[in-house]
Amino acid sequence: MSTTRTPKVSERVAPKPADPQPAKKKRDDDDGPDFRTLLHAWLESHRASMADSLRRLGKQPIGSFFTCLVMAVALSMPMGLSLLLKNVEKLGGSWQRAAQISLYLKLDAGSKEGEALRDEIKHMPGVADALYVSRDQALEEFQQQSGLGEALRELPENPLPGVVVVTPTEVDKPALEALRQRLSELPKVEVAQLDLVWVERLAAILKLGDRFVFGLAVMLISALLLVIGNTIRLHIENRRTEIEVIKLVGGTDSYVRRPFLYMGALYGLGAGLLAWGILAFGLNWLNQAVVGLSGLYGSDFALGGVPASDGLSLLIGAVLLGYIGAWIAVARHLNELAPR
Amino acid sequence: MIRFEQVAKRYPNGHVGLHELSFRARRGEFLFVTGHSGAGKSTLLRLLLAMERPTSGKLLLAGQDLGQISNAQIPFLRRQIGVVFQNHQLLFDRTVFNNIALPLQILGLSKAEITKRVDSALERVSLADKGELFPADLSTGQQQRVGIARAIVHQPALLLADEPTGNLDPRLAAEIMGVFEDINRLGTTVLIASHDLALIARMRHRMLTLQRGRLIGDGEAGQ
Repeated sequence: MSTTRTPKVSERVAPKPADPQPAKKKRDDDDGPDFRTLLHAWLESHRASMADSLRRLGKQPIGSFFTCLVMAVALSMPMGLSLLLKNVEKLGGSWQRAAQISLYLKLDAGSKEGEALRDEIKHMPGVADALYVSRDQALEEFQQQSGLGEALRELPENPLPGVVVVTPTEVDKPALEALRQRLSELPKVEVAQLDLVWVERLAAILKLGDRFVFGLAVMLISALLLVIGNTIRLHIENRRTEIEVIKLVGGTDSYVRRPFLYMGALYGLGAGLLAWGILAFGLNWLNQAVVGLSGLYGSDFALGGVPASDGLSLLIGAVLLGYIGAWIAVARHLNELAPR
Repeated sequence: MIRFEQVAKRYPNGHVGLHELSFRARRGEFLFVTGHSGAGKSTLLRLLLAMERPTSGKLLLAGQDLGQISNAQIPFLRRQIGVVFQNHQLLFDRTVFNNIALPLQILGLSKAEITKRVDSALERVSLADKGELFPADLSTGQQQRVGIARAIVHQPALLLADEPTGNLDPRLAAEIMGVFEDINRLGTTVLIASHDLALIARMRHRMLTLQRGRLIGDGEAGQ
């Protein structure tokens, strides 16, 4: 609404008495501003708010940087842990090996039967891989590993059964138990053994890790909202007179709110970029030690960097958090900002 | 333009700002509201700006009932009003130009339109060459002129001023009043709250006299 711009008023107020009246386009007084004018006003207001917020952040570069840094640290901790967990999950083979099911075959099962059984098991659902260890191979390995080679050679016959080692596709207790049950019912299988205690421990560790990351994320996001809320509250306090004047000359709540929302989003953007940098640097720095350690175990495991999709999610999340934090702060203080 | 019908304002602490006040002001009229401190001048202005609502009675401004107006409509109502404060209420981190441009920026006018209107307002208050200065660079009288320019730049139908000459010497006060008269001659309704009776008497406009929230006089100043 802008009744002040109707021809009547502008003819009455705009020109000085001595000035010639400018020729004005005839316009219906009741029309009000058209859509194009309103859209232009809206866009112009957003542009001005954005520019103003940027200018104010730029005027206090050190303060703005440290606010972003605090937010970035809060963001990078859960994100970093989550990335570490993802990297650990890349050791999937190891987890699955820890949950392998050993099928001890009957002593009368020959190599051909063992190999046939292995091939059959490989095609079963829930099975990632199956390896057959013949009775002879088992004895040989046992002789080498136990140091009882001479004693074992004295035995009249090989006491060890053939074994099919089954690697499951997923480490899940009920699924593993069901698979073990199915495998134990196969012909020539004497015993199907699964170390469920270890599997349970493994699952519990993963669950704990997930919960820890979630809890930490909730805590740090709350802290982050408080940080941004407090920062915006200080900006509001510093601009109290300006806000009162804006309200007195016809600024709406959304007009008052807008620059602070942009400021929150800009803080979020800065924090997101910094957090991405911190994570990329941190993972790279940690990776050097991880590569050294995994090398000692004969593994080529290395930490991955920050995937672009995760980085972008981090940025978008940070901008949204900044925006939401600012919104909460302004909503809380807007009523207090009524002109006095 | 303005219609007060038995308007009363009572505050929660028991203080009564206005007692059943009734008066009307025509479009294009120039009137003073005077009275001692606590007489109700500021309450009257706050009611007109919808900073407060009447406790009882009916207050109409340009046909709008200010007792019934929704919070969302208040900003749009205020766009029809220009306000001049005793303490100017200028923003010291903005140039004179940007202070005056504020109401136009809120309206979302184009840069060219804003420049045109601000220049015109600056010229009207005889500060055409001061646009790029900051308020701190100006004298008190010039700051008050900037406040007036900001109040008229969006071509309001009503101009309210709360003790606009309170901090000024008599010569500057007369000068500022002259600016208000110029604006009024263009058709804007002007309502000035002031306790400077000597100045008011020289102006010979309608004067409402308040005492403890009651209207005790309504006539031409100086009579």
